[in-house]
Amino acid sequence: MSLIDKYPYGKAPFALLVIAIVSVGLRIATARRHADRPDLVVVTHTDAHYAAYRKAIPRFEQEHGVKVQLQLVNWASLQARVQNAVLAGTETPDLAEMFESTLGTFTRGPAEDFGVMDLTDRLHRDGLYDRIVESRFSLWSARGRIYALPHDVHPLMLAYRTDLVAKLGIDVSQLDTWDKFVEVGQRITRDADGDKVLDHYMIDLRFDGAWSLDALMWQRGGQFFDAQGNVAFATEDTAELIRWYILQVHGPHKIAFDCGWGQSVGKAMTDGLVVFQWAPDWRSWVFEDEVPSLKGKMALMPLPAWKPGGRRTSVWGGTGLMIMKGTKNPELAWELAKFLYFDGRDQGQRFLATNIIPVLKDAWNLPELERPNPYWSNLPIGRMYAALAPETPAVYSSPVEAQARINLDLAYARSIDHFLKHGEAGLMEVIRANLAEGAAAVRRYADREHKLRVATR
Amino acid sequence: MIYKGPAPYLFLSPYLFLTALFVIVPFVNAIVLAFYETNGPRSRAFVGLDNFRFLFQDANFHAALLNTTIFALVSVCVQLPLAMGLALLLNGSGSRVRSIFRLIFFSPNLVGQVLVGILFSVLFTPRYGLIPRGLQELLHRGLEAQWLTDPRLIMPAIVMASLWLWVGFNMVYFLAALQTVDKSLEEAARIDGASAWQVFWHVTLPSMRHVVVFVVIMTVIGSYQLFELPLTLLSESYGYGAKNAGLTLITYLNYNGFRTGDLGLGSAVGWVIALIIFTISLIQIRFARLTED
Repeated sequence: MSLIDKYPYGKAPFALLVIAIVSVGLRIATARRHADRPDLVVVTHTDAHYAAYRKAIPRFEQEHGVKVQLQLVNWASLQARVQNAVLAGTETPDLAEMFESTLGTFTRGPAEDFGVMDLTDRLHRDGLYDRIVESRFSLWSARGRIYALPHDVHPLMLAYRTDLVAKLGIDVSQLDTWDKFVEVGQRITRDADGDKVLDHYMIDLRFDGAWSLDALMWQRGGQFFDAQGNVAFATEDTAELIRWYILQVHGPHKIAFDCGWGQSVGKAMTDGLVVFQWAPDWRSWVFEDEVPSLKGKMALMPLPAWKPGGRRTSVWGGTGLMIMKGTKNPELAWELAKFLYFDGRDQGQRFLATNIIPVLKDAWNLPELERPNPYWSNLPIGRMYAALAPETPAVYSSPVEAQARINLDLAYARSIDHFLKHGEAGLMEVIRANLAEGAAAVRRYADREHKLRVATR
Repeated sequence: MIYKGPAPYLFLSPYLFLTALFVIVPFVNAIVLAFYETNGPRSRAFVGLDNFRFLFQDANFHAALLNTTIFALVSVCVQLPLAMGLALLLNGSGSRVRSIFRLIFFSPNLVGQVLVGILFSVLFTPRYGLIPRGLQELLHRGLEAQWLTDPRLIMPAIVMASLWLWVGFNMVYFLAALQTVDKSLEEAARIDGASAWQVFWHVTLPSMRHVVVFVVIMTVIGSYQLFELPLTLLSESYGYGAKNAGLTLITYLNYNGFRTGDLGLGSAVGWVIALIIFTISLIQIRFARLTED
C-alpha cells in the first residue's frame, strides 16, 4: 500500500500537501542571504546621472572608507516607492534624486511627518547657499525651509535650424520680443503649396497648455503659488497670457503646432514642420542624442521677452537630491550629497556629458562651458545658458501643486471653448472667471491639507 | 462523508487566514478610513462625513463620474454589439478559420492596457501617427487632430483603444455561448419563415441570455474600474487629460489616495464606486430576471 493510499483525506489533499512542503523547502533552500546594508544607498532616475555617479562614487568611498550603493530606478516608480515608504515608515534609501514638483508629496501634513531632512542650516553652515542660484531653492522649499539640494538651473532657450530660418528669411537677431516673434510667425505659418495643410509652424506649443503654458507664465513673473504657499495663478497677467496662448494655438492666424513628445519632435524638426523648439539645457542634449542628423545645422537663441528689455528666459524641469529622514548616517549622507553635486573635479565633465550647466555659480567659469559645440553650429552653449541662468524665475512648491497645474490647464481649456464659439468677444472676462474658479478649486484642496496639519499638530 | 476532528479546519485555516488578512481587515479599515483625512497611514484626523461632502462638491469628481459613466455606456452600446457581431460571423465559419480569428481578435487582450496605451499614443500622434495619416488619406482631414490633448477627442480616443482591447475578449464569451445554442430551435424558426434577424432576436439571443447578462455586468464593472489605459494615454496630465476629459473614477481615486497620500478621501471614493457598481449590477440582474419571467 503506497503512502498516497494510506493518506486518509484523499489524493487531492495529499497532492496539495506535497506541493506545499516542496515549495516551502525550495524557498528555504534557494533563499539568498541578504548582503549587509551598505553605509549609504543613493537612488537616481536618469541614466546620465547614474553613469556620472558610478564613476565618481569609488573616490568618495576611498576618501571616507565607506560603502555606497547606487541604484537606477524609473522616475515614476522611484517617486511612488519613496513616497509610500516614507508614509508607511518602512526602509527608504539614504538619498534620492527627484524631479521637480515632487517635493509637495513629501511635505504634506505636520512637519514631523516629512520624510526628508531639512537642509537649510547645513547649506548656510557650509557656505553653499550663496553659491547656488537662489531661484532654484524655491523648487525644493516648503514652509520657508529647504529640503533638497538643487542639481541644476535649466534655463530655457529656443532651438532652431539655421538652414530653415535662412530659407524662410527669418532674422533671428530681431526676434527679441514675443510681439515680433508672432508677427514673423504669422508670415511663415502658411500653406504655400495649396494642399490645405500648413507647411511650417513658427513654434511648438502644447495644445493643452501644460509645460509650455507654465514656462511662459513663469517668464512673465507669474506663479502657481507665492513664497508663502498661497494660490497665486489667478491674476490679470495670467489671463493675458492665456488669451495670447489661445490666439497662437487656436486663432485664425495661429503660429503654433503641438509636436508631442519623443520621436515626433525629432521628425517635426527634420521635416522643418516647426521652426522653433523649446530647449532648456537638458533638452539640448536630448536633441543631440535623438536627432543627430541635424548636427551643425542647429542653433540656440534666448526666449523673446514679453516687453522690450524684459526677461529672456524661463525654466523647464529640475532635479533635486533629498536626504531621507530615515538615514542612519545623516552627516555622511550630506557629505555624499555635496560630493555628488558640487565636487569641482567632475562639474566640467558632467556638463560635457549632459549639457546641463551646474547650479553652482562659481562653476560657470569652467573651460568646458566655453567649448564650442559642433551640434549647435559651434556655439558655446554652456556660456549661453550660464548667461541666462541668473534670470531664471523662481518656481514655488506646494503639496497641492499638481492640482494647480491641472486647474490652470482646465481654465485655459474652458476658455478655448468660449473662443471657438464667440471669438475674442468677452474672452478676457471668461478667462478671468475660469481662473478664479480654478484657484478656488485648488484652495479647497489646500484647505484640506491645512486642516490636517492643524488637527494632527 | 463527514470528516470529524480538526483536520478540515486545519486545511481551511490558510484560506481563512489569508482572507482575513487581505480581504476582511482591509475592508473594515477602508470603512473606517473613509471618515478620516490622512497623510498616508502615519497621521490622520477624524473628519466625519467631510470626505463625502468634499467629493460631491468637487468638480473633478463630477467630471470623473460623468466620463466613467459615458465610457460604461459606450462600452455596453458599442463594444458588446461589435463583439456579438464578430462572434456571429465566426460562428458561421469553419472551425479552423474560427480558431485563427478567435486568436487574432483575442490577442490584444494578452498584452494588457499599459502596452495598448503606449501603442495607441504612438498611433494617435498628430501628423505622423497611423490614425491621423489614415484619416487624411480617407477623409482629407484629421491630419493634425490632437487626439490626446483636445478635450473633444480624448474620450473617443480612449474608446477606440478600448474597443481594440476588449471587443475580442467579449467575442470569445459570445462565441462560446453561440456554440451551445440548440441548432434545432434555430432551424425550426427558419422553417417557420423567420428572417435571420428574427431568428437571432427571438431564438439565439434568448438562448444565450445568461452569458449576455454576465458579459454586460462584467463590462459595466470593468468600465467603472477603467484606469491604466487613460493613465498611459494621458500620462503627462496625471491621467486627467485636457479639461479633465479623460479623468475616470479610479484615476481620481489613485491621484487622491496615493499621489497626495490622502487615503481617507481615496477610501471614500472607493466606497462611492463600489456603491455605483453594486446598484447598477443589481438593476441589471433584476432586469434580466424580469425579461426571463
